[in-house]
Amino acid sequence: MDLSGSHILNATPDRVWAMLMDTDVLARIVPGVTTLEKTGENEYKAIAQVKMGPVNGSFSGGLTMQDIREGEGYTLNVKQSSKIGNADATVKIDLKSVDDDKTELVFDGGAKLSGLLARTGNRVMSGVANSLTKQFFENFEQEISSS
Amino acid sequence: MSNTKYIGQSVKRVEDKRFITGKGRYTDDIKLVGMTYAAFVRSPYAHAKVLSIESAEALEMPGVVAIFTGDDIKASGIGGVPTGWVINFRNGDTMKEPPHPLLIATSSTAKHIGDPVAVVIAETYAQAVDAAEAVVVDWEDLPAVTDAFKATQDGATLVHDSAPGNLAFDWELGNPISEVDAAIEASAHVTTLDFINQRMVPNAIEPRSYIGHYDEATDKYTLYTSTQNPHLIRLLMCAFVLGIPEHKVRVLGPDVGGGFGSKIFHYTEEALVTWASQKIKRPIKWTETRSEAFMLDAHGRDHVSKAEMGFDAEGNVTALRIKTYANLGAYLSTFGPVVPTFLHGTLLQGLYTTPKIHIELYGVFTHTVAVDAYRGAGRPEATYLLERLMDLAALEMGKDPVELRKRNFIPAFDGVEQPGYQTQVALQYDSGNYHGVLERAVEMLDYGNFRKEQKEAAQNGKLLGVGFSTYIEACGIAPSAVVGALGARAGLYESAQVRVQPTGKVSVFSGSHSHGQGHETTFAQIVADKFGIPMEDVDIVHGDSDAVAFGMGTYGSRSLAVGGSAIVKSIDKVLEKGAKIAAHKLECAADDLEFAEGKWTVKGTDQSISFGDVALTAYIPHVYPEGLEPGMDFSSFYDPANFTYPFGCHIAVVEVDKETGKVRLRRFIAVDDVGNVINPMIVDGQIHGGLAQGIGQALLEGAIYDENGQLTNGSYMDYAMPRADDLPMFEVDRQITPCPHNPLGVKGAGEAGCIGSTPAVVNAVIDALWSGGYQVKDIAMPLTGERVWRAMQNN
Repeated sequence: MDLSGSHILNATPDRVWAMLMDTDVLARIVPGVTTLEKTGENEYKAIAQVKMGPVNGSFSGGLTMQDIREGEGYTLNVKQSSKIGNADATVKIDLKSVDDDKTELVFDGGAKLSGLLARTGNRVMSGVANSLTKQFFENFEQEISSS
Repeated sequence: MSNTKYIGQSVKRVEDKRFITGKGRYTDDIKLVGMTYAAFVRSPYAHAKVLSIESAEALEMPGVVAIFTGDDIKASGIGGVPTGWVINFRNGDTMKEPPHPLLIATSSTAKHIGDPVAVVIAETYAQAVDAAEAVVVDWEDLPAVTDAFKATQDGATLVHDSAPGNLAFDWELGNPISEVDAAIEASAHVTTLDFINQRMVPNAIEPRSYIGHYDEATDKYTLYTSTQNPHLIRLLMCAFVLGIPEHKVRVLGPDVGGGFGSKIFHYTEEALVTWASQKIKRPIKWTETRSEAFMLDAHGRDHVSKAEMGFDAEGNVTALRIKTYANLGAYLSTFGPVVPTFLHGTLLQGLYTTPKIHIELYGVFTHTVAVDAYRGAGRPEATYLLERLMDLAALEMGKDPVELRKRNFIPAFDGVEQPGYQTQVALQYDSGNYHGVLERAVEMLDYGNFRKEQKEAAQNGKLLGVGFSTYIEACGIAPSAVVGALGARAGLYESAQVRVQPTGKVSVFSGSHSHGQGHETTFAQIVADKFGIPMEDVDIVHGDSDAVAFGMGTYGSRSLAVGGSAIVKSIDKVLEKGAKIAAHKLECAADDLEFAEGKWTVKGTDQSISFGDVALTAYIPHVYPEGLEPGMDFSSFYDPANFTYPFGCHIAVVEVDKETGKVRLRRFIAVDDVGNVINPMIVDGQIHGGLAQGIGQALLEGAIYDENGQLTNGSYMDYAMPRADDLPMFEVDRQITPCPHNPLGVKGAGEAGCIGSTPAVVNAVIDALWSGGYQVKDIAMPLTGERVWRAMQNN
């Protein structure tokens, strides 16, 4: 499943970068995440609860950041398992400065799905992914404006 | 027979009383005392190694009775599920038949999504499902291959280490390849088509359902199963999988809600519930979910082919050369190897006099569920290939598709006065009149007018198209000597017992098995007419291995041609004995009697005795021929001399929307010749259902695996089944060319609709596009609006 897009956030690249590297912030803004623990250098354990249409379940697994380019971006690998199937996503994230005080976050990657998640069909799953992405950026913006 | 009160009449189906009032008795309706329920732990990956299975926590959950894993199965020494056919490599090497275990053990690999690793048995189904979710399997996800052609290429991931190149076998049939190459080379025109016959999901209304019941008191097993052939399941399960003596196993196939082939095969779950019920000493029921049905019921079709048809300057076919990669899935299902080979390759003569034919075929393992017989099984694939080539050749050569067919058709033959027709690809057709069905269908179309209308439409920017398809199929799958020579591990005759009760009522025990076709009506029509008694006096028993001596089940349109003929053989034995009893009672010679309208009459007199009186005498033999046994109960095993060969002509008329590519099916004409017809209404129903399935393949359906082997359209949300508003009113007609070698003269009608319709629809769309100047050779099925639109844009 394709996972790509972009969003302009109301903060400088430095600030967006700092938030993206802050576990507490991430735990707040990533939809459904209930636990996010650091388990090693750029490695985290994540537990999420997702309830959206046919996708309803508890996910757990790991999250690693690779190819970290300070202030510019990194590649995120997320492996999550659940009773309704497993997801293995790799997404390259790039930050670009826009108008001095704004940042465009560009993400490009894909997810490998298995089990019911895969069988539910790309049409439905893409919708779920879009909704989750949208929610992520809404949360992100709220975090920016409130802090 | 002088009395044909029922044969040839559209008698309403007697079984419909219970079906349409919701009183059918399907496996899932059956509840046994102490019954438990099973749920499976299945692989979420198409290819993954099982590193560990942890079930201790699940075993403690409420209601859980037992959990068996692949490791338990391995330890018990149970064999895997076998295939029923062996196709060897061209060089003589034995077919690769890797094991198909009932459950995957630790350190082994799951080979398609849904491949099971454990079964959880609990007091309720919900408890079993909950506990199955608590079984923790540690998987190592591995790369998968799902495309038959790609699987044979260098470096492709192997499905089984024992099958290099992912080949189960390679195979060829027909004339020597050098002769075919030369004939193609010398042709004035060659039509070439690279195409995919996509993978189909069978979608029976009733999902598969099994109950295994071991009875400690008698040390006997009963398996209730939604199967198309109870005896064959018993044979495979007893002799190959579990090693239980047959006399200790009863297999019952109660009402079965559709199969389309997918319920022919012996599935691992059948053996597993039977085996496990002995372990826990309680009955176990498993009924699959619709989601499991999509994943696990053997799929159909799935060929990647290159086809070339050569013509001389006059349009006579000179040669046919085919290369096909047939996807077999991860494991060889019961009929898996025979479908792409002998049920496909042997039909490549079609209705044509093609002098040189060669097919080269690769049977390929992939990380997908098994592919096996699906309505038509091999014959739709062969017909699709031939009929697409024929219509495309006509377009390319600027010839009329009807005239091109007529020129190449085998001349009519009845198989009695004229001999059967020997093809280049092993078969001998029994009887045929191919020009007849084509001419009738073209007349129904009003062909001349249509071409005028098409031209006018094109001038107004509208795309109208007509597609022709003429087909032949090999039905009545039987002759044991033939199928044995083709690699079958079983004989394929049929049995029938006709038991006349003392009061003249008749019980018939048939080895064929109805999963919706209306055997209880059709068979009763034959028996009632042959004995001259009311249909209400006839009872048809099937689907019980204890009640019926033996049987080979229902598939390949064999019930009437093979099963019905077995009944006729037993009826003849009854009448022969009845004549001896009647002669004794009437004090004449048996030769002086004639049997009609339910009584034996001394010729030229009014002296007669009724069927009922003779039956009673047989059981109360106070006045009885000397030396004749009492009773009136006869069994027969009928093994026919040949397959039967129904044929027909289907025509589709479509309109293609230029802006969107959307195809609308305006008309569908089907003229079929299925030999003699016992019940026209049932035959029409069979044709209608087949047409819906064949049109579904052309326009809507198809299983889609992604590159990781995940089935991405495994639900009705994404898999488009045809609905009533996708279909026009069918215009159905019939021609009758009796089968010369069975006593009923019948050929079989179950698959015809599904075989002829698919290429007709695709040909019609291609014809519509050509009428608008888009010279498109092929569009991959299903022909969705998007695909047709793209084909127009890329032209």
